[in-house]
This record gives sequence, C-alpha cells and structure tokens, in this order.
Amino acid sequence: MQAALVVVTLLAVWGAVSNAQYNLTRLNMTSGFGFLERGTGWNYSFSLVERSINDSYAYTLFIGLLNTLFVGFICIVTTTIFGFLIGTMRDVRHPALRFAASVYVQIFRNIPLILQAIFLYAILIHMGGPRQAVSLGDVAFLSGRGAMLPGLNVSPTVAVALLLASLALGVALILARPVFWRGLALWAGGSLGLALAVALVLRPEGESLLSLPELQGLRFTGGISVPIELFALIAAITLYGSAYVAEIVRGGLAQVPRGLVEAGQALGLSRAAIWSRIKVPMALRSIIPPLGNQWIFMMKATTIGIAIGFSDLFYITVNAISQSGQTLELIAMLMLTFLAINYSIALFTNWLNARLQLKEH
Amino acid sequence: MAVAEIIPPSRFETSRRLFLKRGFGSPGSLAISVIVFVVLGWIAWSFLDWAVLRAVWRQENVEACGQGGACWAVIDARHRLILFGTYPFGEHWRSALAALAIIATVVLSCLPAMWQARRLAALWVLGFASYYLLMEGSLLGLPQVTTDGWGGLSLTLFLFAAVVLLGMPMGLGLALMRRSEMPVVRWFAMGLIDTIRSLPLVTTLFTAAVVVPLFLPSWLEGDKIWRVIIAFALFFACYQAEVFRGGFQAIPKGQVEAGKALGLGYWSILGRIVLPQVFRHALPSTINMVVVTFKETAIVTIIGFFDILASGKTAFGTAEWAPYYIEVYLFVAAIYWVFIFSLGQYGEYLKRRMTLSER
Amino acid sequence: MSKFLAAGAIVAASLAAPQMAAAQSETVKQIEERGTLLCSGHNGSYFGFVEVNDNNEWKGLDIDLCRALTTAILGDPTKNQIVPLSWAQRFPALQSGDVDVIIKATGWTMGRDTEQGLQFSLPYFFGGAQLMAHGDLGVTEASGLAGGTICVEAGTTIERLVANYLNTENIEHNMVSYESAAELRSAYLANRCDAFAAWGPFLAVLRATEIDNPDAHVILDDQLSAEPIAAAMRQGDENFVDVVNWMLAALLIAEEEGVTSENVEEMAATPPNPRVARLLGAEPGIGERLGMRDSWAREMIAAVGNFGEIYDRNLGKDSPYKLERGLNNLWSHGGVLYAPILD
Repeated sequence: MQAALVVVTLLAVWGAVSNAQYNLTRLNMTSGFGFLERGTGWNYSFSLVERSINDSYAYTLFIGLLNTLFVGFICIVTTTIFGFLIGTMRDVRHPALRFAASVYVQIFRNIPLILQAIFLYAILIHMGGPRQAVSLGDVAFLSGRGAMLPGLNVSPTVAVALLLASLALGVALILARPVFWRGLALWAGGSLGLALAVALVLRPEGESLLSLPELQGLRFTGGISVPIELFALIAAITLYGSAYVAEIVRGGLAQVPRGLVEAGQALGLSRAAIWSRIKVPMALRSIIPPLGNQWIFMMKATTIGIAIGFSDLFYITVNAISQSGQTLELIAMLMLTFLAINYSIALFTNWLNARLQLKEH
Repeated sequence: MAVAEIIPPSRFETSRRLFLKRGFGSPGSLAISVIVFVVLGWIAWSFLDWAVLRAVWRQENVEACGQGGACWAVIDARHRLILFGTYPFGEHWRSALAALAIIATVVLSCLPAMWQARRLAALWVLGFASYYLLMEGSLLGLPQVTTDGWGGLSLTLFLFAAVVLLGMPMGLGLALMRRSEMPVVRWFAMGLIDTIRSLPLVTTLFTAAVVVPLFLPSWLEGDKIWRVIIAFALFFACYQAEVFRGGFQAIPKGQVEAGKALGLGYWSILGRIVLPQVFRHALPSTINMVVVTFKETAIVTIIGFFDILASGKTAFGTAEWAPYYIEVYLFVAAIYWVFIFSLGQYGEYLKRRMTLSER
Repeated sequence: MSKFLAAGAIVAASLAAPQMAAAQSETVKQIEERGTLLCSGHNGSYFGFVEVNDNNEWKGLDIDLCRALTTAILGDPTKNQIVPLSWAQRFPALQSGDVDVIIKATGWTMGRDTEQGLQFSLPYFFGGAQLMAHGDLGVTEASGLAGGTICVEAGTTIERLVANYLNTENIEHNMVSYESAAELRSAYLANRCDAFAAWGPFLAVLRATEIDNPDAHVILDDQLSAEPIAAAMRQGDENFVDVVNWMLAALLIAEEEGVTSENVEEMAATPPNPRVARLLGAEPGIGERLGMRDSWAREMIAAVGNFGEIYDRNLGKDSPYKLERGLNNLWSHGGVLYAPILD
C-alpha cells in the first residue's frame, strides 16, 4: 500500500513534469528565471519604498512582498486590538454593551470578506476628489483618494526601518518576559520614543518635526498619504477579522475558572484589575492557538487586494504573469513565499504559546 | 403553604431582574445603556428612514430616485441578472428551480431524521443531480446551456454544493490517511493538508484555473469550472480532514480494541463503530466548515466567474443604474447574510444541544 | 505521456504524407471534432468589442469576428462558445487550450510573439491609447495631469504605454490599475482618478454612452501610441494562422468588392469579376488550399457580413457609439486596412 502510494505519486509528478515540458516546447514558451532581471515597464498603486517603471521583475515582486507583509502586519495588530475590545464587551455583564457587541459580530462575520472589501471600497471612492476632502481640524483629510495624515518628517525608508525596529522591540520584550501589561506599555512607549528621537535627528534642515498634509493642485503633499486602496483593505480585513477574534477572546475569557475571578473580588480588586491581571493573562493560554490561526488567515486575506486595485504580492504576481508570460515560475514563487510566511507565523505563535504557558512548579 | 414560598422565581423573572440590575442598577451602567441605545437607535432609524420610508421601490418610479432615499428600483429592474447571471432569459425558471433544489437539500440535511451517512449522501447526490440536469438541460430534452452561461446566485449555490459534495469524501479519506499506521501515507496526508492550508484559497483556485492545464494531458483537462471546483474541494477537504481528526480523537481506544477482540476487520470497525461516532462528534465543526465554504465561494469572482458578486457588479454597470451601487451591494450582502446567519445559528443550536445531551 | 504518443503519431503521419498539398490545421481538426469553436470573451463588457446585451447575449466587433471564424470553419455562426476571461487570463487560457483563439482587443508585441508562445494574425484594427480626464479639471493635455492619479486596466499593453509615455514626458503621477473593466469604470466615475487611460475608441464609446453628461469629460490630445490589434493563436500551428488570416482577408476583400450579407448569393451566382468568383467559391481554390470547404467565405459573409458591415454594426454608424472609420478604413478610403492578394 505504501509502495503503491509512492509509485502513484511519483508517476503523477513525472507525468505532470513531462507534460509541462512537452506543453512548453510545443507552445514555444521560454522558461527559466532570466525575466526576473528585466525591467517591468508598468506601475502600480502602492509601495513602501522608492519605485520606478524601470525596476526589474525581481525588485517589483519584492515590493509586492513588502506590501503584503506590511498590510498583514497592520491588520494583525488592528484586528487583535479591536477583537479584544469587542470580545471583552461580549464578556461583560452589562446587557447593552453585550448587545452592541453581538450585533457587530453577527453583521461582520456573516458577510464574505471580499464583498465587504469591494462594498467598502465603492463607498470610500465615492467620497470625491482631493478638493472635496473631509478635513479633520486641517491636520488630517479623508477623500476618495485616500487618507492624509500628519506624519513624522522622515523618508519612507527610515519609516520602514522604524517599523522593523518596533517589531524587534516587541519580540525582545516577549523574550524578556515582563508582566504582560508592563511589557505592552514598554513596547508602545519605546516605539514612540524611538520614532520621535530618530525624526528629531534625521529631519531635513530647518523643517518642523511633523509634516502636515496640504492641498496642492491635484493632490495633497506632505504628511503620510494612505492610498484609499490600502485604507479600504485594512479597514475591511479589520472589521471582518475582529469579529472572529472577538469570538475567540470571548471563548477564552469564558473558560477562566470562576473561582479565580471570585478570589480577585475577595481581595477587593477592581473590575478592571480583575480583567487585566487575572482574566486576560489566564485566557491568553487558550486564546493564542486559535488567534495564531486567525493571524495566518489575515496574511492570506491580503490577497483580496487584487479586487480593489491594491498592489499586494498576489496582484503583482498576476500582473507579472500577464505582462511576462512566465506563469509557472511566478506561481511557484508565490506559493513558496506564502508557505514561508505562514510557516513562520505558525512557528512564532507556537513559541509565543510556549512562552505564555504557566511554569510548572 | 411553606412549599409555595420556596418555589424559585421563574427563569424569565430572574433574567429580567438581572437585566435591569446590570443595565440600569448604577448611574454608570445607566449612562452606558443610554449611550449605547441612543447610538444604535440613531443608526437603526437613519437606516430605516433611508431604506424604507424614503425609498423608491418600483422600476416605473425611477425618476424619483436620488432624493435621499434608497433606490430599490435597481433591484426591481435588475434582480434577474443578479440572481441568474447571463443564463438565457427565457429559461430562468430552470435556474430558479435548480437553486431551490440546492437550498432544499441544505435545509433537509438539517433535519435529524436525515443524519445517516447513507441518507445524507443520497440526498446530496439527488439535489446536486437535479440541479445539474435542470441547468444543463440537454438530458431532460430542454435547450442545452453550458456552464459558461451559468451565473448569479445559482452559480454560487452550484459551486457551494459541488465543493461540499466532492470535498466531504475527500476530507474523510485524508483524515483516514492521516491516522494511518503507515508512515509514508501519513506524511503524504500531513504534507498535503499543511501545504493547502498555508496557501490563500485564491492562489489555489488561480493555479487550478490557469496553471494546472499545463501539467495535464489534454484528455484530463476538462472545463475550467470543474478544475476550480476540484481545487476548491481539495481546500475544503484539507480543513475538513482536521475536523474529522478531532472527531476521531474523541473516541476511546477501547472501542476499537473491543471491535478487534470480536474479530471484526478494519473496515467493519471503521464503518460500524468508529465513523458513526466521528460524524456525530464532528457535526458542529462540520457545519461551521460548510458555512465558511459558502462564504468563501465569493472569491471565485477574482478568477473570472460570473457569481452573484460579479453579476451584482454588472447590475449597476450601466449609466442608468451606476449611482445605486449601495442598494445592489446591500441586496447581495443580505442574501449572503441570511444564508450564513441561519446556517451558523443552526450550528450553534446543535452544539448546545449536543453538549447538553453529553452531560 | 499520451501527448508524446500523439506527437509521435503526428510526426509520423506528416512524414508519411509529405505530398499532401493542403495540410489541415491541427486546431481546425480539434474544432471540428468538438463541434464548437472556443473564443475569448470578457469578464464584463468591453464596449463595442465584447459586450453582453440586454438579452444576456454576447455581441461586439471581436465577437462578430469570432462568429465569422466559426462560420468559416464549421459553417454555422452559432457553434461558438464564448469563454469569459479577464485580461490577465487570456494568454494562459490560450496556452492551456481553454480557448482556440484570442480575438480580444489584443495588441501585437514582441514579447508576446516571441516568449509567450503566441503568433498573431494580420492586424484587423488600429487603436491608439489616449487619456480621458474629468472636465472640471480644465486639462486638455497630459502635462496638466502632473501630480494626479491615472487609472488603467491591469495586465494590458495600455498599462505599459501610459507608464512609458508619462515617464518620458516627465509627468509625475500615481497609477492605480484594476483587474476588471467594470471596477475600473466605476472607480473613474467615482473620481478615484483624475484620468482614465484606455484605447481611444473605447474611451470615445464610454464617453458617448456610459456617462450621463459627455461634456463633463475630455479626451486629451496626446496620442500615446497606436497599436495594431490582431488575433492571437498558439504557436506551432501555422495552418491555423493561415485560416484566421484568410478569414480576415476575405472580410476585407468582400468590402472592397461590395459583397455584403444581402447580395452575397447573387454575387456568387453571377460573379462580377474573377476575384469575387474566387472569393465566393464560384471558382475553386479558396477552400481546398486551406483544407476547408470552397464555400466558407460565402457562408461567412452571409452570416456576419463584410468587414465594413461588422464595423458599422458594432462601432460605427449603426451602433450607439457612431465612431468614424478613420485609420480602420480600407486603404482605398484613406485607412490602413488591406487584404493580401487572392490569386
């Protein structure tokens, strides 16, 4: 039986490969990775780093990967925060809060993500051009083109470096195992402080620390420009994903033994303290494994960016396929990349879970 | 006399009291209640005002649209396009009947009387076959409509039913392979399951639609829609295999050993002792998987199928209807929501019922 | 494996019968066995070329050319199957055999011709890429778009033409590209972008019909380039290219000679000159040399008309779009279309 499976698998693989070779020669298609060094000649909606239409395919795919990781990372953070908030609301005793939270969950969990993304995108782009932008105290603007936010006066590359530094700080803190809430505060404070310090040092001569958006001609200049595609994608994934995370969090909180909560009450702890010192730390152990799966889902969900014109890795790959015709190579690269990303997330959550387990005494 | 006094207050009474105490007992909680209900009430009222009170319902009154109310005239005019896609206009009754066949199949499988592997399988094969015969038509002597002409809600339901029908046995097979005592078989199943689960569904489907034909001899290629359905079913199977695995783990080892002691073979132990219990244990998670699958079918719009999302987009794709995209998206979202919400609630109900019966 | 056998059999057969004058095309053989021709459609509507009408039927210039080819090969214009494809999917679909031929506003480029395993027919249409902008911007040429956002369809030649043009002219811009024409159109109309880059004829059609107020949009003066639009086929079947080329040629010759769907039977009965006689199969040759019926061109013209009729019906004076023939007229009327010589 085992031998049969091996033989059948090998035969299938051999058949597939030989067929592919036959088809490629029959159709006179070139194969190989030589195209990666050629310039692409096309442009796309979003990139964190400098780009031009003369970039090679390899570099353009790298930008796609960066975009996917960037969106995925942001969605993981926003979804987790939002999910904890809604999940806690579903767990509290106050009936109005519970009701509001469950309405939220039932609406956003039961409509396909891609429909939510396209719908939201359609609504957002109908907000009008930069000249009709909604102004929020003249420092931030929202229009059909995107959100314009005040930002630190640093170049995009420095901004990416800062993001990575913040990520590294987070990992280092988990390694150091401080008390959960203190760790969170250290991470947020440290990231913010570092960003401010770097901006102070690196800002261009004679310019202010913050760069504010300003309407000039057809668009805004200055500040951070968040294209509407990016904004819609993050918002849609967050709305949908946090409904799922909320359910995970609610389930985790419900599993915390009543006795522990009652012990906290007996000690005279406030409700907030019971929640942050007892319930959440205890619940995390059962929350982390399904939460990790949800994070992997977030990463995979970034591929719907293609439906609203956001240049994630899948979008760049599909466009590269139609412009270069190197279907097999590009699909293989796409799949390997996703396997690597999601395998890393799985490793990370396993490790996180091991870290958070109670020590055996 | 004394007996009457110790009768506890009714359940309703208790929860009403708790509700009042927790929601309005202290000034703080009262304030929260008021804020939440005012905000929710405002949202609900504005929606009601837009969607019902000031709405335009009929296609004839389209001139009245665009004055602050919803323009449901677009649904009145284009609902057949949304529901049936590019299916030939005169044959829409077939598409409607076929969609009903799938819905009836899903509803019937929710009845406990149907919960036997054989009955369920028969029901799904029957429902699916009647769908196919009606839609394709040539075997019933109706004008033939090839799969290229299928669309809208009917196509979404077709993809859903085909994926579940094919994916379920594939998932069971993978789960069995994963439990196999032969390492190669086990590794094979594990590798496949982990790989497919790590890939975004849309890349798997894109590969099936675009790349797979290069690997297949021409006699194996088939229609694009079937390649995509098989890839989708594989995706379903890899998740469902994990659901079944959970079911297998819930069965005490002693039962299998008892079966062996009785001299039963592998297949009889599996078919008569293990599987019925596995199905029972796995039922709530299976329903969850089915719900997720229904939701995920929306993704096929990316690889160019004319499903309900794509046909919805086409419905407002003309100059006349372009401003009323919100109405169309809400209509499509409502259809999805009704299906997914009711299936999901049913799953929750089953889960509660089963935890109760296990106590 | 079976493909090797099949390939071997074909090689053997072709070695065995080298004297055969009209080798029939492999693709045509497959089409005949299947009984239908698989043509490329679009995921949505590409106005004037591939669109779905109110009765859920496909129509347009490209669809009519597909019908013409179907009639030429199978003798019946209804025996085609239109497979909806996005721009990105069209070449993989052709390579994998999901369609037999791509007639879908596809430009002839070197990369496609050499690396993607495609070969192209004679160009049947010349269209230049242009930009359309919202009128309230007050822009008349591309330089006015500096700093603006431009929308385009992903995976098309236009996408590269625009990027190249704006880069050469040093016009700073953002670009957003979409996978589907419907998404692109609604994004432009919703003012997600200042300008919309597409094929000139397509923009004219869009402006004339799909927009409530045509004056609110301007087509900019810049001609980004003109591309030759041709049918694309898989490499390795030269005979099929011949079939498609002569299908197009026959439509043009018919227009030159004034053969229309109305008068084609009279013309065939009493040909006014030898060229028409050869075209309509009154004199043998046009079929046999392609491995087809002598009557194919006659049946085709009876079913879909000549090239002028097809143009007028879908884009020109009989369509809602009313586009001028311009470059896409016969060479004798100031255009660039010409047919090879039918001898």
